[in-house]
Amino acid sequence: MPADLRAAVPDAPAAPPGGAEPILEVQHLSKVFGGLTAVNDVSFRLAPGEILGLIGPNGAGKTTLFNVISGYYAPTRGRVLFQGQDVSGRPPYALARRGIGRTFQVVKPFAGLTVLENVVIASFLRHPRRAQAEAQAWRVLETTGLADRAHLPAASLTLAGRKRLEIGKALALEPSFLLLDEVVAGLNPTETDRTMELILGLRADGISILIVEHIMRVIMGISDRLVVLNFGQKIAEGAPRDVARNPSVVQAYLGKEQE
Amino acid sequence: MAPVSKDRRLLGAAVVCAALFCVPLVLHDTFFLRVLTEALMWIGLALSFDVLAGYTGYLNFGHSAFFGIGAYTTALLMMKAHWPFPLALLAGAVAAAAGALLIGLPTLRLRGAYFAIATWALARAIQQFALVSSFTGGPDGMRLTAYLNPQYFYFVMLAVTGGTFFGLWFLLERAPFGLKLKAVREDQESAKALGLNPTWLKLQAMVLAALPTALLGGVFAYWVTFIDPSSTLGDLVSDQALVMVVFGGMGTLIGPVLGAVLMFAFKTLFWAYLSAYEVLYIIILGAVIALSVVFLPDGALGFVLRRRRTRRQAPGADPAPAGPGLAPSEKEA
Amino acid sequence: MELMPQALLDGIMLGAVYIIIAIAFSLVYGVMHVIDFAVGEWIMLGAFTGFHLTTWTRVDPFLLLPVVFILFAGLGYLIQPLLQRVISGHTGNPLLMGLVFTFGLSLMFRGLAQTLFGFYSHSIPSHFSTGSFFFQRGDFFLTVSTVRLAGLIYAGVITAALHYLLKYSDFGLGVRALAQHKEAAGLMGVNNKRTSASIYAVYTGTSAMTGVLIGTILSVSAKMGPEYTIFAFFVVVLAGMGYLAGVPAAALLLGIIQSVFLVYLDPGYTLLAVFALLYLILLVSPTGLFRKGV
Repeated sequence: MPADLRAAVPDAPAAPPGGAEPILEVQHLSKVFGGLTAVNDVSFRLAPGEILGLIGPNGAGKTTLFNVISGYYAPTRGRVLFQGQDVSGRPPYALARRGIGRTFQVVKPFAGLTVLENVVIASFLRHPRRAQAEAQAWRVLETTGLADRAHLPAASLTLAGRKRLEIGKALALEPSFLLLDEVVAGLNPTETDRTMELILGLRADGISILIVEHIMRVIMGISDRLVVLNFGQKIAEGAPRDVARNPSVVQAYLGKEQE
Repeated sequence: MAPVSKDRRLLGAAVVCAALFCVPLVLHDTFFLRVLTEALMWIGLALSFDVLAGYTGYLNFGHSAFFGIGAYTTALLMMKAHWPFPLALLAGAVAAAAGALLIGLPTLRLRGAYFAIATWALARAIQQFALVSSFTGGPDGMRLTAYLNPQYFYFVMLAVTGGTFFGLWFLLERAPFGLKLKAVREDQESAKALGLNPTWLKLQAMVLAALPTALLGGVFAYWVTFIDPSSTLGDLVSDQALVMVVFGGMGTLIGPVLGAVLMFAFKTLFWAYLSAYEVLYIIILGAVIALSVVFLPDGALGFVLRRRRTRRQAPGADPAPAGPGLAPSEKEA
Repeated sequence: MELMPQALLDGIMLGAVYIIIAIAFSLVYGVMHVIDFAVGEWIMLGAFTGFHLTTWTRVDPFLLLPVVFILFAGLGYLIQPLLQRVISGHTGNPLLMGLVFTFGLSLMFRGLAQTLFGFYSHSIPSHFSTGSFFFQRGDFFLTVSTVRLAGLIYAGVITAALHYLLKYSDFGLGVRALAQHKEAAGLMGVNNKRTSASIYAVYTGTSAMTGVLIGTILSVSAKMGPEYTIFAFFVVVLAGMGYLAGVPAAALLLGIIQSVFLVYLDPGYTLLAVFALLYLILLVSPTGLFRKGV
């Protein structure tokens, strides 16, 4: 991991900074689909300004958890508290209004519209008038480095561009909390580093982040703390270094130890 | 780049409207005036159909219901309650808006394909119902007191269609509403994450589509003085609107106008010279729809724009139009 | 009330025929994810073709079924690439545009039928048309018309054939794979284009054949298309789109509704009832009675 990035990551405490009211709290959350329990009694907290990494093998329930937190599914059991308020089961657009933004794992921009128009739609949330929404959209495009492609159809962007557009749209919502779902998957190392810088910059602006990522150097490098899921259950939580050494985590990823 | 050419197009539209306004002052041939009046009506119908179809991506096969509601409400209020025409017309629009809410609330939750089936079933049910109920005159329809003044109806139709065009231009191209609809059309789930409530937006779109259609229906009723279920509630209104929009270019304002003008010209010529082969007409309608979908995915308008852009573009540049289109191949309905 | 058992029986036998329509329709939906608005028109065209072939060759329509199948399967195979082009195309919402395409087809077919076949309705005569079996036990009696019985047998044979095709043939395996996961199937060597075209051909051929059946049991007219499209939609939505196991129950229900209306109420209201019911079902449970639809 580049030295400058490592330097940028402070030595994180094992638990969220005490005393601060968590911006997000997931309490005994379960999500059951018919016979399948995708998320099983998961609880954790996220402090304001924190970057919490969510990791786990494929099928561990990370995306389902995201979908519950962002309002696409209602929890079967348990609650989601945002800024102290119970938002379980509220629809995504209500949560967006409250300050929750998210990206999607499979990046699908509004293909029939231009890059600018994609962001403007998100800007409408906080800027109902077209002129101000466009102004804000331009600012977001500058931040995410897409300003030069503003009038191109969104479908013409490369994967890296689309991922940045995805983040840009979430940013245009002026969220206080971001859910990032595999925003660097499929990017080359340079693009990955730029995205990591972007994310750290967001944290510096005061945005709390819950990030799912499979690329270890990214999630280890960025996260203040980690939560590990396996088969829908939380099996570990804590500082990246400690979690990486946790035997149950190793087992979850690598399978049973060889005899 | 975009705003400047848009204003220029608006100016062009205003000029065309002004020219149309002057037509009766110059032209005294009432037959031609009537043809133009009907053309204007179809332009209006195509435009209002496109609100849900092109901008929102929801095919409302029951679009003719709004036309019929407008026609019948106007007729009933004028004939049975002796309301004056303008008031009856507005009442028709209100009734259609109510109808849109009634139809839309349950159905707009559905996905596009199911919505198409549901509205298709509903439209046929309404048609069937109008046929059997004597209150509306049954299959024999209703007559209105004749008011024979071609100029009057020309101006009224021009006002309604012109108003529709400029109103939609403002709401769909200028105001945020249009973009929000397009977002819902492209990806409803993503749109939710951006703070948009798709069902509410779709409902508004449906009401927006219903209003001009009902007004046109009411004007139509008073103008032709006779309405019946097949002319006002029948498939032909929805089907022809669909053809005009698919052929012209969905998701734009000029597209439906272009499609309406071309299809109407064809329709008039067809019925003038080939009326002996009336069954051919529906074959041609179907063929135009099917072939347009296959070979003109962005409509005639998209085709023209693409040709112009390719010719204007420097070699090597990406000749991609900014219209609806260029989606990656993975798409779920 | 004494007519009820007869109505039920007639309905069940009619429903058996509807099962075929719904299965074929569901198959196409499963593979191509397109709802074919032209299903009623395929049925109608098949019926008319059967009628004219019978009149022309004097061969019993039941013997002409394979001919009709081949004719319309061929036609479907030729048309399918156009549909495929639409749904894999670049317009936003290609599946909806596929629906529009089939809608355009339905208009064309209806117009063609009116041009070629006129406006009158006909009944396809068959050796089975007259004649019936008569059961009596005390005061309780039932008439089983031979032609409906033939229809029932037809339904059984076709269902078995389709079942065999899907479960035990390579082609069927390909179809099921495509329906479940298009890309993975492609990676496994399933030729999407050819398999889709073939299943569409099976669908059009089967629908046309079923049209001949309907023509013998009931009647055929150029305007009958939308009626059977609604019936197909009704059965498939009620069963749950793509959920084949729900089809028999839904189809039988439709047959019974239709029969009961025929006996007790004005048949003109049948359509209205079916439209209304379909609309209500879509509102209440668009994934079907068993909630297993897609």
